[in-house]
Amino acid sequence: MTRENYELDGTILKATEDVRLWQTEKGVVEINENTLATLITLGDQRRGYVFHGHGKLLVDAIVETEQGAIGRSIEKELSEPFLMLGETEEIQKRLTKASEEELAKMGYEQQKGFIDRAEDLCNQFFKKGRVHDTRLFNGDRGFIFAFQNEANKLDVLVSKGSKLVYKAMDMVFVSNKNKVLLKSQGEVVCKNNGKSVIIKKDKSIIINK
Amino acid sequence: MRIKLSEDLDEEMKKLKEELANLKEQLGNVMERERKRGRGIYIDIGNRVHDYIEDVMEGVAEGIHGELEKSVFIGPRGVRILREKQPYRGEDKVEVSLPKTAEVMSALGHEHRLRILNELMSGGKYINELQEKLSEITTSTLSSHLNILEEAGLVVQEKVRGRYLITIPGRTAYKMARRVTRFLERRNQK
Repeated sequence: MTRENYELDGTILKATEDVRLWQTEKGVVEINENTLATLITLGDQRRGYVFHGHGKLLVDAIVETEQGAIGRSIEKELSEPFLMLGETEEIQKRLTKASEEELAKMGYEQQKGFIDRAEDLCNQFFKKGRVHDTRLFNGDRGFIFAFQNEANKLDVLVSKGSKLVYKAMDMVFVSNKNKVLLKSQGEVVCKNNGKSVIIKKDKSIIINK
Repeated sequence: MRIKLSEDLDEEMKKLKEELANLKEQLGNVMERERKRGRGIYIDIGNRVHDYIEDVMEGVAEGIHGELEKSVFIGPRGVRILREKQPYRGEDKVEVSLPKTAEVMSALGHEHRLRILNELMSGGKYINELQEKLSEITTSTLSSHLNILEEAGLVVQEKVRGRYLITIPGRTAYKMARRVTRFLERRNQK
């Protein structure tokens, strides 16, 4: 296990069009045109970005059981800075240098303002040791997103192939092909190839074989 | 006028005890006879078994006695057995608001919405699949019905894939609506 020091590129970029950063059948993260971005490097390698602008996060944190569906779709407007580690090649093509006016539109008088906020977010993320070896999430092999929530903590989404983990303030959702786990509002649901176990708030357990 | 059964039960208890004493005596005789015959290996575990049976019998009898005292009454219209109401899980903790109840009942109160729930009972469906099944209504009307069901918590939509799924409360509510209707129909037939 290695832990590398991150660095932020001083250049502020902006999205030239709407960009879908990540998409699977369970979720989507996209940014709108003109969203600001700065590159994150780890050990001289491009590893991701901090974005700030407008965008959307969707995660279908729903488990289908014999008893009915449990959970909900998470739909969040991304208007606060968020971090992404993963594929950068394709995204880089849709980014260009941002002007002072574009920075001003997002409420930054100068570049430093955006870099400071991006740095705060990175410090919060990396210092907590959430990522020990980012090489695992390089190329098309996986993504990590970190979004600041209302409690000023980080909601984290990790996706790699068919595997998905979404941990937010009030829920945990884990999905991998036919295996799903959801913990939300005091209820826990586990499903594996059609078999499911539901542990309800009142501690009653429903097992579907 | 209610008459408690305790006196009758005391008598029953006495009879049971007498019967038990008789049984003990008979068992003792059988044991003695078998021992004299010397058939096989006979292990006399003696009074421990008797004591145990006696304890159990007394415990059971007392339990029955207590329960009967609490719940059986003889009145002018005959014997009445009262059963303690078993609260549903969480019933004492969660207050159900009438406006919410009305919202759920209102969501169920349309044939098309019941048909949507019926279709979803067999698994999640896309809007075009539902549209095929409810071809007599427009897509906008179908969407409006789905919104009502979703707001009432009976249906949930996967925002990424777009499928609609029936929730646990939705499934329960649909079954309950069917059951109530069946009950009323049977009653009317009588």
